[in-house]
Amino acid sequence: MALLEVKELSINFGGLLALDNISFEIDKEQITSIIGPNGAGKTTVFNCLTGFYSVSSGKILVNLGKKTFHLERMRGDQIARDARIARTFQNIRLFSQMTLLENLLVAQHKTLMRASGWSLSGLLGLSSWKKAEAEAIQLAEEWLHKVALIDRANDVAESLSYGEQRRLEIARAMCTKPLVLCLDEPAAGLNPRESAQLNCLISEIKDETSIGIILIEHDMNVVMEISDQVIVLNYGCKIASGTPSEIKINPRVIEAYLGEPDPETGGRISD
Amino acid sequence: MEDRTQKKSEMNPLPLSNWHAHRNAIMDGLISCLITAVLLIPLTGIYSVQDGGGLALKYRIWELILSIIFVFIGRFSLSLAESGHQKLSICGGLVLFLAGALWSGSHGIIGVLGILGGVLIVIRSLWSSQSGNFTGSLECIKKLFQNTNKQWSPHLSLIMVLIAVIFPFLPLTDRWILDLSILVMTYILLGWGLNIVVGLAGLLDLGYVAFYAVGAYSFALLAYYYQLGFWICLPLGALLAALFGILLGFPVLRLRGDYLAIVTLGFGEMIRIILINWVSLTQGPNGISGIPRPTFFGLEFKRRAAEGAETFHQYFDLPYRPIDRVIFLFYITLGLVLLAHFFIKRIRNLPIGRAWEALREDEVACRSLGLNPTNIKLSAFALGAMFGGVAGTLFAARQGFISPESFTFIESAIILAVVVLGGMGSQAGVALAAVLLIGLPEWFRELEQYRMLCFGALMVIVMTWKPKGLLSRRVPSVTLENIERTRTGG
Repeated sequence: MALLEVKELSINFGGLLALDNISFEIDKEQITSIIGPNGAGKTTVFNCLTGFYSVSSGKILVNLGKKTFHLERMRGDQIARDARIARTFQNIRLFSQMTLLENLLVAQHKTLMRASGWSLSGLLGLSSWKKAEAEAIQLAEEWLHKVALIDRANDVAESLSYGEQRRLEIARAMCTKPLVLCLDEPAAGLNPRESAQLNCLISEIKDETSIGIILIEHDMNVVMEISDQVIVLNYGCKIASGTPSEIKINPRVIEAYLGEPDPETGGRISD
Repeated sequence: MEDRTQKKSEMNPLPLSNWHAHRNAIMDGLISCLITAVLLIPLTGIYSVQDGGGLALKYRIWELILSIIFVFIGRFSLSLAESGHQKLSICGGLVLFLAGALWSGSHGIIGVLGILGGVLIVIRSLWSSQSGNFTGSLECIKKLFQNTNKQWSPHLSLIMVLIAVIFPFLPLTDRWILDLSILVMTYILLGWGLNIVVGLAGLLDLGYVAFYAVGAYSFALLAYYYQLGFWICLPLGALLAALFGILLGFPVLRLRGDYLAIVTLGFGEMIRIILINWVSLTQGPNGISGIPRPTFFGLEFKRRAAEGAETFHQYFDLPYRPIDRVIFLFYITLGLVLLAHFFIKRIRNLPIGRAWEALREDEVACRSLGLNPTNIKLSAFALGAMFGGVAGTLFAARQGFISPESFTFIESAIILAVVVLGGMGSQAGVALAAVLLIGLPEWFRELEQYRMLCFGALMVIVMTWKPKGLLSRRVPSVTLENIERTRTGG
């Protein structure tokens, strides 16, 4: 059974059918890329997965061995907390006045809240709470190392550069200890060097943890290089899915990206 | 004239020669005198009195001359300070100060302004000696302050607490000052409570006075109907206020910013109007009197005890002093303020405190990380309201009488002003602002009708100078100590 199953997912806003009958599966230790032209519904898929939009019809299931979560019936915060789906945002959403370390500790709210006895043992300063806090800080520290921001740990998030903020957002999502990580255009606005670093980071996360990663990305080089599976959306419909090499030669994908084939040339596009 | 300005601009960076500097300063002073005279002759110089059937004009010659002289000395010394003639300008400032002090008895406001002006001029001249320009000297002071702050901050807070503890027994302290300090501390509690809601969780609450009223009325009503004492009503009042906080929280969960402010404003008014109109329970606008005073382990602070009981002074075999009751209330308030301080300081560093701040920064991101905004908002409302309730109970105990009149919108506005002026989210800032906003207007009651004018001016000055509040620097809830080590190690 796949980790995440999306079955016949549809959503409409008023009269607009933003997603039409989309189905796909995501396994752990895999990177799945969702691509498509602007307005194809890629971010809408994320918003459905993470509970920000309520689904019009269809099912989204997360299988955790014994338990199965029906995401379409859960609130956003429950999905993140219980079904453990973490995400980043297209327009970065950090806690800008708080320090990097604090950003990563907020991500561990669930664990810390329980450890602090819903603030009671925390107020009394019991040792169990102190231990849990130290562990949380350690985890945050590890992630700050991985995203190469450890020396900025005590600075406010606002003071980071754009690329650094993107990395911090990924670290924050990872601090929730997710099973599925949804990255919404993580390379947007990065320079080629930062973009390459980011690819390394994503591959590293894939190799070192056993989570499933869903990636929305426009840079085809990145997509083809690191993904195991590619899903192509256009106007809210899934038009293709498969391995990168399959997608590259799929005529419908080429059509969606480059427009109608010209009848004069017979639809072949020169490389 | 042209010649003079040219010279001035040429030589400005260097100290002017004595003669030029003095001449410029005198000219500045004379011009200021002229402006003052033009302004003050109609404003202060002439006033009308009822004389039989009509109005008669009277003149305040002395005040007029005095103000003009003060302005001259002030402007003269300020010019000297600006051109670097420190000694003379300090002398001028001191003269102004002394003159102000001398006349503050007979001419009230003019004397006080003279004192203030003198102090400002002395400060200005001292600053200009530290570094060349005004902003530079500001930086200088800031650095000095930060350095001393770092070294002395633990000692400083201890010293402050010690001063507060011996405060009732200082020779200058009288009943009026004690009463005022209790009021100020009540507002510190209110400010800290509202600070949780507005400063930390970022939920603008314009009806905070409602919780103050709930605390005060729960004590008054429980005492009136069930003869309960202060010590039982204190936690009950806090609990009830917290409950009302949750009650308010539920309908406004989805609102933000302006909309939230309007609904909370309405909530504050609702509570007050209920208190006025539910006459059978609350005695309406007449209020409730005879609220019992706090007791010392059951011992009352009265001259004569009720049947079969003893009073505080009888038990300890002391002579009866009416001030003892006020001193006792002072200590209760002080204890509660210290308790509140440690509570809030602690809870800010717990996950719940960080969650409040995260919610203020970005609610969507909070949800994506598994934080439940509903619970976090409700906990902020409840805890904030709890402090309002405690403050309300104290207020009722201090006054002995409460009526809905004490819980109007202006109270909410003042508490919010305390939070904003102090710096959102800053504990020390809120305390400082409470002292300034509550203490000073009471202190300067002699200024009479100028009091609120000065108060307004002070707020405008502070908010232009420090738009984020007096002490707005945010201290992180947790910091990584060994960054250097890890940097070199990793």
